[in-house]
Amino acid sequence: MNLKKALHRENRYEEAELNITPVMNIFLILVPFLLLTAVFVKLSILEFSLPTSTQAGEAQKPLNNPVVTILAISEKGFELKTKGMKIPFIIKKEANFDFQTLVEKLQKIKERHVQTEDIILAPHLSIKYDTIIKVMDHCRENGFFNISISG
Amino acid sequence: MYFNFEEENDHLFIVKPRRSKSISSFTLRLTSMIDMFTILLVFLLKSFSVEGEIMSVARDLHLPESTAQTPPKAAPILVVTNEWIILDGTPVEKVATVLNQQGNIINPLKTQLQQIRTFTEDLARLNVNMRFKGNIAIQGDKDIPFGLLKKIMFTCGQVGFNDMLLVVNQAEQS
Repeated sequence: MNLKKALHRENRYEEAELNITPVMNIFLILVPFLLLTAVFVKLSILEFSLPTSTQAGEAQKPLNNPVVTILAISEKGFELKTKGMKIPFIIKKEANFDFQTLVEKLQKIKERHVQTEDIILAPHLSIKYDTIIKVMDHCRENGFFNISISG
Repeated sequence: MYFNFEEENDHLFIVKPRRSKSISSFTLRLTSMIDMFTILLVFLLKSFSVEGEIMSVARDLHLPESTAQTPPKAAPILVVTNEWIILDGTPVEKVATVLNQQGNIINPLKTQLQQIRTFTEDLARLNVNMRFKGNIAIQGDKDIPFGLLKKIMFTCGQVGFNDMLLVVNQAEQS
C-alpha cells in the first residue's frame, strides 16, 4: 500500500516540464522562411528543337540508323508505321486514347529494332496539346528519345 | 486524509476532495502546437526548392502534365491561352484569328519575335554571355489544338527561335 501511494504522490507533485520555448522559437522562424521559399507548382520543360539549316544539311547524308518510326495521331486513334513491321490501327477506347496498347506496340518495335531512337509524330490539326505531350512522354519512357513533329 | 485510495471502488459515491493546486500557476499545453508545427515543418521542407521560380504561370492557364524532369531555363515566354497569344506579357494576337488564317506564319508574332532577337543581338555586342541562343519557352494551355501550335512553332522557327522549351507541370512522382 505504501509503495503504491508513494509512487502516486510522486507523480502528482513532480510534473516534469520540458522547456520548449527555444523549440517554439526555432519553429516560429523556420515556418515563415520555408513558406516563402516553398514551391507548390513544380514546372519542368520538354526540350524540343526544330531542325536548323545546318542540321538539315547533315540529314542528307546517309544515316547509320535508318529505322524511323512514324506515329500518326488522329481523332480516331494512333497509327504506327515502322520498317518491316505491320502494326494494326490503335483505336480509341471510348473517348480516351489507348495509351496502354501504344506502349505495348512501342516496346515491340524497340525489341525488334534495339538501336532505334527516332520517332516522328504526325498529329492531326485538331489534336490537343495535352495529348501530344502525353504521347511524347510515353515515347520518351520507352526509349524513343529523338522525337520530332511533322505538321 | 480521511478516505483511503485503496478502497476507492467500494465507495463510489464519495466525492473526492478537490486537488489543492493553486490556480495562479498554470502552464500552457504546448504539446499539440508543437505537433502541428512539426508536421507543417516537414511538409514545407518537402516543398522547399533552392532554385526559386524562373517563370510563373497565370492561374487560369492549365498546363499539361508530364513526367519530364528538366528544370526550366530563362527564355522569352510565349503564353498560349485559349483566347490570346501573349509574348512576355504583351498580348500579340487573338487565337481565333490565327486559327482562321490560311498561312502558317503569324505576322504580329513574327514582328515581335524579330524585335526580341534584334535586341538580344545588340546586347550580345556588349557582352558575349548575352548572345542569342534561340530559346523560347512556350506555355500552352492543354486544350489548344495542334493546328495552332504548328503555326506558332513555324513562326518561331522562321525568326530563328529553334529550341522550344515546352513548359509543363511536373507530374507527381508515384
